Amino acid sequence: MSIDVFLIVLLGLAMGLVFGVALEKSRVFEPGVIVGQMQLRNFTMLRVFLSAIVTGLLSLALMNGLGLVELHPKAFVPLAQIGGGLILGLGMVMAGACPGTVFAQIGAGYKDAWFILLGGVAGALVYGYTLPLFKHLMGQSELTTYAVLFETPFWMLALGLAFLITASLFLLERWRPSSAELGRDFDGV
Amino acid sequence: MIRLADRNWSPYLAGGLIGLLQIPAFILMDTGLGASSSFVTAAGQAALLVDAGVQEGSYFSKYLLFNQSFLANKYLWQVALVLGVGIGALFSARLSGMKRRGIAPVWQTAFHLQSRMARYGMAFFGGFVLLFGARLAGGCTSGHGLTGMAQLAVSSSVVVMAIFAGGIASAFLLTRRD
Repeated sequence: MSIDVFLIVLLGLAMGLVFGVALEKSRVFEPGVIVGQMQLRNFTMLRVFLSAIVTGLLSLALMNGLGLVELHPKAFVPLAQIGGGLILGLGMVMAGACPGTVFAQIGAGYKDAWFILLGGVAGALVYGYTLPLFKHLMGQSELTTYAVLFETPFWMLALGLAFLITASLFLLERWRPSSAELGRDFDGV
Repeated sequence: MIRLADRNWSPYLAGGLIGLLQIPAFILMDTGLGASSSFVTAAGQAALLVDAGVQEGSYFSKYLLFNQSFLANKYLWQVALVLGVGIGALFSARLSGMKRRGIAPVWQTAFHLQSRMARYGMAFFGGFVLLFGARLAGGCTSGHGLTGMAQLAVSSSVVVMAIFAGGIASAFLLTRRD
């Protein structure tokens, strides 16, 4: 049993290492880039985010298409997810980070990111304790994925979306080259 | 050729690399990239120190590290993942001479924050709002944004639209853009 723990931690650390390097090299972890995206003056976040969705779609289309892995879409809980997403968006502007990039900011040396981390743990703590007060307000929907909704094979729809996103990224790059958004100190400002 | 000593990589290349991490995540852990559950694990473990009641029947129960079979423990994996993100960014920044100190200039330019203490307070509050929202939504920009979107999940598409709507509205109401 301890060997499993060891392997799981090792795998997580190794994958996190790649994730962290990619977040740092893409500059998307910079508070100025994240706030700048929401101000619609810097589109680095959209470029990284959509590119990751494209390779994720292609990977899952292949793996699921071959029957190697099952999908685990999260349940659709409309009110909670619209409200939660709006609150998360406000939090991203105030924190200048999302829950994953906080760790990249700490690693790169930003001191305030430690406070985002602490506040985040406090937020999760308060959410967990107060959930029983409003859980009954959340109605769950039956919807799972668009592939199920449209009665289309997952791999087919995934490849189609990957193509559409790739095409829009080409247009984005043509409209606004990514190199122009690096900022004076590679911080997007 | 890309090198670890580079100060930046193409955002498309770096993003594409992140998406490829879904392959080991789904094949080896039967889950996708995510980050916000690790905050629940941390909160639950902290709560456990003073409240044994979180062990069973609470929101935190399934996120605790030593509460379930280890083979299926994707929460342990995710805690290791986010720690790895920190280490990876540290390496990347060191190797390219991009070490950051203090706070980012955007807090002065976009929010007029003059003192570091004011930023620390705002960061704590921002983190609180960030994770409260993420848990209410059932995931964050990674869990819903990357993994949910790659699975064509209806839920994740709604969450992503709400995140951008909330973020853009907040930025236009709260920040200086010039």
